[in-house]
Amino acid sequence: MEIPISTDLALTMHIDLNSCFATIEQQANPLLRGKVLVVAAYGTENACILAPSIEAKRYGIKTGMRIKEARYLYPDLVIRTPDAPKYRDVHLKFKKIFQDYSPNVYPKSIDEAVIDFRPTQVLFPDLVAVGREIKQRMKEEIGEWIVCSIGIAPNRFLAKLSAGLHKPDGLTVIDHKNLMEVYASCELLDFCGINTRYQARLNSWGIYTPLDFFQASSFALHKQVFKSIVGSHWYHRLRGYEVDDQEFEMKSIGQQYALQKPTANPLELSRLLMKLCEKMGRRLRYAQMQAHGIHIGIRYQDYSYWHHGEKVPAELYTTPELYKRAWTVLSHQPNPNVISLLSVHCFDLSPAAQSQLELFNEHKLRHRKVSAAVDQLNNIYGEFVVTPATMMKMNDTILDRIAFGRIRELENGFFS
Amino acid sequence: MTQNIHEDVDVITIYRSENTGTLPLKIRWRKRDYLMSKLGYHHIERVGRDLHHIFHVANDHLAFRLRHDTSNLSWKLEEVSDGNPD
Repeated sequence: MEIPISTDLALTMHIDLNSCFATIEQQANPLLRGKVLVVAAYGTENACILAPSIEAKRYGIKTGMRIKEARYLYPDLVIRTPDAPKYRDVHLKFKKIFQDYSPNVYPKSIDEAVIDFRPTQVLFPDLVAVGREIKQRMKEEIGEWIVCSIGIAPNRFLAKLSAGLHKPDGLTVIDHKNLMEVYASCELLDFCGINTRYQARLNSWGIYTPLDFFQASSFALHKQVFKSIVGSHWYHRLRGYEVDDQEFEMKSIGQQYALQKPTANPLELSRLLMKLCEKMGRRLRYAQMQAHGIHIGIRYQDYSYWHHGEKVPAELYTTPELYKRAWTVLSHQPNPNVISLLSVHCFDLSPAAQSQLELFNEHKLRHRKVSAAVDQLNNIYGEFVVTPATMMKMNDTILDRIAFGRIRELENGFFS
Repeated sequence: MTQNIHEDVDVITIYRSENTGTLPLKIRWRKRDYLMSKLGYHHIERVGRDLHHIFHVANDHLAFRLRHDTSNLSWKLEEVSDGNPD
């Protein structure tokens, strides 16, 4: 059955801070304003660029490039390394502004949020005026250099699309009146959720443009192109109906580290793994969860990849429990080689309060108490004040980073 | 160029109730005085239970990152930058 375009009011607002990390650096240091600046993972030539400034983007510098590549485009590049606490502070400030307009504010990442105006549409009938007011408040309450793009639409997908149409500092509305016009002016890859592989899949079914995508039938998308409910979701999404307002539970907690100096040395790796497990364990215990599985992912220096996950009968809660199991999984590598990226995740989470006492492991409760005491000490005196001995002299290794995507712990107060 | 410093410094602050709040106005570092004209950004950071205030201040030539530890009321100069490439 064909469904018409939604004529619902545009009550979803998507706000995206432009060149977030770089703009914040320029806000903090006025001498960097107007300069071609990038925020990179490290200050070295091979480091990955996390955020180019608006000025750097004009020279073609993009997220994911290496510094040495960016220098070909602009040799006098200013490089800054990330300052995670500052970015988190900006996030919390802009979230506070948004909460003045609606109780339904959904942070999507460190630099993006969605405001659902359905509960407060009577109070704020003109969302374009609200958008302008939010831009002004961000300049007054966060900093005059902060710019954001705002998109207003009937659903989250179109709101994000409209926020991306005019960057930087845009304010765009998409509704049933201009929807087809917008689709005619953009490409499939402009859609959030369509990457090159999905594009290839759509192309193979004769869908080359957003208008083709829109005109495809629900049956074709569901049964042929996507071969799942995802196709039906796209059919509704493209017509302005909301299908993305679902909140998912936390299913895993993990840490990842790109090694500055790739290594195959077991001692080095054990120290790195311990620190990753300690960080992961702190987050797990803060969420009052325990895990029943561990997953290790490795990228070798030759860009090959190996990963392996194991479920375990006993609950994993303390850092030593997590580390022992992670090391066991790591030792299953079929062809150990020089490692350039190491990630560890714990999964199959359940509330820590549901822990089962073991008949033959009378130390379990004692270990948990020790773990709680160590966490308490770190809460009082600062992170990594008391650590496993393996982690000695590792202060500057595995720095505080901002995760891509959803930042649950910031919302839950882990970093405050 | 940006340089990490991590040295204790003398600081004179001014509190403006109407707009910007507290601004580190003058810094004495290595026996030289630097007058600040702009507060770029201010945020707080928790180190365990201690509260630190981070001030990013600048004049026309240099930008400074200062850390004020509220547990002992000390000031530390963490970083100096002239805004140019390293």
